Amino acid sequence: MQFKRTYIFVLGLVLLSSFAVVQNSKTTNPVLITTQTDYKVGNTIILEFTLSEQKTPLLYCSNSYGSTLVSAEIKNNSLHYKIPNNITKKIGVVNWKLLNDKATLSGKLNINPKAEVATMETYIGPPSIEAGGTDYTMLVVIPTDSLDNPVPSNTLVNAKFQFLNSEEKEAVFTKNLIAYRNINSKRESGRMLVSSESLGTNSKEFTINVAAAIPTDFTISAKRPHEYSDGNQITTFSTSVIKDKQNNVVSDGTFVTFFITTKNETILKTTGTTIEGVAQAKMIHPDYADTWSIKAYVDGMAESNNIVLSYKQVIEDFEVAFSNNNRTITVGPLQSFMQQMIPDGLHVKLTIYKDNELIDTIIKTSFKGYVNYNLKPAIYKNDDYSFSIETAGLKKEIKTKKLW
Amino acid sequence: MVSTNKNILRTILIASYIMNVALIISGISALFSYLNTGADRSTMLHTEIQKVEQYLPKLVWQPLQNEGRAMDKENLNALQNDYLDAWYVKQIAYKTNKTAGIKDYYTDSARENLYDFIELNKAQNITIEATTLKHNPTLEFFSEDGQLAVITDRDVVEYKRVFKAEKLVLQTTETSTYKMVFLLEDGFWRIRHLVKEDTEIYSPEISKIETDSLNIKGINYYPQANPWNMFGDEFSTDTIAKDFKIIKDAGLNSVRLFVQYEDFGKADVNPKKLEKLIKTLDVAEAQNLKVVLTLFDFFGDYSVMNWTLNQRHAEAIVEAVKDHNALIAWDIKNEPNLDFESRGKETVIAWLENMIDLVKELDHVHPVTIGWSNTQSASILKDKVDIVSFHYYEDLDKLNEAIKTLKKDIPNKPIVLQEFGLSSYSGFWKPFGSSKDDQANYHKKIQELIAANNLQFMSWTLYDFIEVPKDVVGSRPWRRNTQKHFGFIDKNGAKKASFKYITN
Repeated sequence: MQFKRTYIFVLGLVLLSSFAVVQNSKTTNPVLITTQTDYKVGNTIILEFTLSEQKTPLLYCSNSYGSTLVSAEIKNNSLHYKIPNNITKKIGVVNWKLLNDKATLSGKLNINPKAEVATMETYIGPPSIEAGGTDYTMLVVIPTDSLDNPVPSNTLVNAKFQFLNSEEKEAVFTKNLIAYRNINSKRESGRMLVSSESLGTNSKEFTINVAAAIPTDFTISAKRPHEYSDGNQITTFSTSVIKDKQNNVVSDGTFVTFFITTKNETILKTTGTTIEGVAQAKMIHPDYADTWSIKAYVDGMAESNNIVLSYKQVIEDFEVAFSNNNRTITVGPLQSFMQQMIPDGLHVKLTIYKDNELIDTIIKTSFKGYVNYNLKPAIYKNDDYSFSIETAGLKKEIKTKKLW
Repeated sequence: MVSTNKNILRTILIASYIMNVALIISGISALFSYLNTGADRSTMLHTEIQKVEQYLPKLVWQPLQNEGRAMDKENLNALQNDYLDAWYVKQIAYKTNKTAGIKDYYTDSARENLYDFIELNKAQNITIEATTLKHNPTLEFFSEDGQLAVITDRDVVEYKRVFKAEKLVLQTTETSTYKMVFLLEDGFWRIRHLVKEDTEIYSPEISKIETDSLNIKGINYYPQANPWNMFGDEFSTDTIAKDFKIIKDAGLNSVRLFVQYEDFGKADVNPKKLEKLIKTLDVAEAQNLKVVLTLFDFFGDYSVMNWTLNQRHAEAIVEAVKDHNALIAWDIKNEPNLDFESRGKETVIAWLENMIDLVKELDHVHPVTIGWSNTQSASILKDKVDIVSFHYYEDLDKLNEAIKTLKKDIPNKPIVLQEFGLSSYSGFWKPFGSSKDDQANYHKKIQELIAANNLQFMSWTLYDFIEVPKDVVGSRPWRRNTQKHFGFIDKNGAKKASFKYITN
């Protein structure tokens, strides 16, 4: 009997104490009342908890960009935490923790993006591509809502391109916060206009320059006022219209180098850049009979045919006169193909020898068809000298002249 | 009498004259040197901008399978640097509530979001100290023109301490997944969009480490000639081998060695030092001795901003040594409780906790301990460590009681008395110090206590030292001289009376 009574007493005590524990936990630990965990971005979020013993614990919350603490407000016998605007206006997960001394209460909220586009942030590059269909540029669009959040995944973005006669529209979908599309070139060169649209909002216009591909082989021609080697007129070399393999005229400014090989294997070089596919380059005529072989190159990409030009001798012969104790040498008249005086500037080279030893070389240019040399007594002492005179590919030798 | 006064007056006059002249000359020279500074030609072109490593969380790129243009090493490296810098400036900004540096790493519209937070937190006197310990970025997209990239960084481990009115209100470690859009602007990869996609409370998995077979009977070891500078120029494996033989022959089975943080090169661990450390372990293995390796010796900066640097240091050492046969346990830090007052108890404990997590993640085999300087602190982090270690230099009569209390608190983990000893110094600076006989008696008695309580032990230390660096016990001579005489072997290499009681 005694035993039974004790048993009931103990059982009663256990029951009582467990009840006390339950009650105790009810009064001390706040419980989350708010059940919503998904919110649309920009909406106000208030987390509500039952009132705790500890008056107003702080609420820690953290989103994509940062963390903060929120103070409570007591309304209707419950704790209200208004999540700050700078958290509610950005999409992503928000985690919170109630900084309660006794039991930590924590949770997560999802702030979901709006299906709304306010701005179309568009990036396109590279801005210049090659015609022919293999090269491409890339359009990247980040549609954002009015709160500067990326839109939900799989939002439709229409990429629109215009090129020559074609206008195309392609549907792409956002993924990883962006939408992108590669835009291949066509056979033709020209300008391509690109824009995009999502949920009724359009981007601005972007321009892609589709440049011609690398040049293909071409032909060259030469134009000259006459065929004489007068050392005065200019021969102009031109290319045919240089095109790529799709028949697009190459970009202006394509650099063409003309290589001229003369009769004695000297190489002359002249260059030009293309305008509307044609490059021109110039070279002065030689001053003696010569044959030029000419070939042009766009370095590393294309070359031309070979053309040959011949230049005729203009000066058949010339005279040399000595005067003033043989100290003045007059070369000329130097006459061109119509017996006209050769234009000023023809090179004449005088070489002076004494006892078969070279003493001096004097080069002068012609003036009004003549060249005069004055041999000063201070330099050329009275003695016997030999001379040789060269001009226009001709050479005359004068043996042993006495200067006095 | 008169002449004495006159002489005093003269001396004062001359002295003050000399003082005046000295002051004027030093003033003029200071002005002169000031005018000469500032225009160092070598700085004109800013040719020498060295990158200082400030933020080195563990970052592992997932295999590159991105859409768009193929990524190359240079671009990825530039992106990684700017990404980590973006985190770093953000942490600094939230710690100080200042906006400095943010504009370099966040685009015009993205930085507004950070400014909003700074304004909000500043107004409410909230500061946040944070760091990230792990990043696992995946490159999702890289645009054809190389100006835009999208990254998903999964399971970023973020540690945060939140202060309100300078009072710590929350410590939390979270693991989050972020998706980011980067734009290359002015040579900087700037964050344009940042979206936290998921977040959880971080709870690292800790594997249980077997400690039953552990039976440490050891000694704290520094070579006699170069204590506290064991891995310097005087490093000699011959000396160490000789000493280890003495230790082994004395009947001990382990040594405790120290890796100094700065000496080993901080975050960028010096491979030469590592090589010396491994050679030392090789010597220990040859003598069949086990090694308890104490990390972060001579380290006292637990600031959250530098955690990533500390972790790279620990990582380098753990990776290098973890498979060595001689290693028996990691001692994370020597006497960290002494830094509680100056660095803040919470900071130090949080640092230790994260460091234990890191070491355990890298090494699943070796147990981890912390060398607490007293029995009162020894139960801190008792659930995290595998072995509980404490040091005891107090009254031997109270040791038994202290051990009993400790064992009650920690019944199921091995307890190591990791440092104990008595200096046999008694001389000019400490006339009533202990003698060599006192030292012997001390060791005899403590070994009895150790045996009775079934403790594992590591005594301090093998040798009497000739020189003790100032950083160890300060510059006061009575302390330095005391520290020189804790050895079982004296300056001349003779075994002291205490040597008999080196083990039980």
